[in-house]
Amino acid sequence: MSAVSDGGRPDPASSETTLSILEEAFNRLKRSIWVFHLNTGSCNGCDIEVLDILTPYFDVERFGIKLVGSPRHADLILLTGPVTIKTISKVVRAIKAMPRPRLVLALGSCGVGGGIWFNTYTTLGGYPKLEKILKDAGVEVDKVVYVPGCPVRPEAIIYGVAVLLGLLQPKSRHRRVPAVEG
Amino acid sequence: MVKFLKMLSISVREGTATRKYPFESPLVTPEFRGKIEVDPVKCVGCGACTRICPPKALTLSYENNEATLKYFVGRCIFCGMCAYVCPQKAITISKEFELATWELEDLYDETTHTTVKCRICGKPFTTVKFANEIRRRIENKVPEDLLNVCPECRKKLATRKIGSRVVGVSGE
Repeated sequence: MSAVSDGGRPDPASSETTLSILEEAFNRLKRSIWVFHLNTGSCNGCDIEVLDILTPYFDVERFGIKLVGSPRHADLILLTGPVTIKTISKVVRAIKAMPRPRLVLALGSCGVGGGIWFNTYTTLGGYPKLEKILKDAGVEVDKVVYVPGCPVRPEAIIYGVAVLLGLLQPKSRHRRVPAVEG
Repeated sequence: MVKFLKMLSISVREGTATRKYPFESPLVTPEFRGKIEVDPVKCVGCGACTRICPPKALTLSYENNEATLKYFVGRCIFCGMCAYVCPQKAITISKEFELATWELEDLYDETTHTTVKCRICGKPFTTVKFANEIRRRIENKVPEDLLNVCPECRKKLATRKIGSRVVGVSGE
């Protein structure tokens, strides 16, 4: 980290310094993360699975993952639901309230691509469409991991968190194959 | 105190309930439905799956003389209807559910088909494999003049044919 100025105190004006601060924060995150559960109009299927990973059966607290009641305390937002029009302002405010680095885990088919509600008039259709609104509002999100599933399995959420923290490499790859005459 | 000792005896008898998931195999039942897989050998590109798919996770699009069957896992609700309706049994339901990724692009699966162009208007309207499959199923009983003609042009052709038969004039 060359951006750290003399005296060990980083210069807040330089963008490289902010980056190094972010990296430092990411390193600190490797110890444990606190999550905030954000429902953006979901059917409660994914919410029940989020509850499931907190029960003794899957018990994510063995990894140090803890559910907190305020986005101000959270490192990661578990975003479920297709982001209905009514919830947009609250979602943006909740994500804005998070300290950097802001991490988002878009859960379920609704959170990733809108699911059944991908093009209805009352929903935005998942996190990718919310991203533009966040950009306009000036809210930067540092990392997003998409976790498909309907509802998303508790194991898949644990896997998603592992992918987010860089402990595992994602298995999914873009595949484009020509049909073969059989 | 007595109550606590009672609980202790129960917990000793029952053992640990917590699953050691990342270090052991996940709990997947035989009925479990995960990500679907399209077999590029069996798929003919008929589009039956795209019509039944409730969230339209499967789409068939024609562009640049190429038909693309696009599967977006991020929108799939894992209902298995596509595998049920597929006339060629090209779609299989796998047990894969660990699909988390940070690139949205990674959630797309595409199968490309070569297309048949309409003999009259030159517009691509179906895939080569689908046309061959139909021809095989009806044992080449299709009239010669209706071969490789798109539905719209076929409509016009049929109208002309009937007109010429009724009025006695050729529609040309």
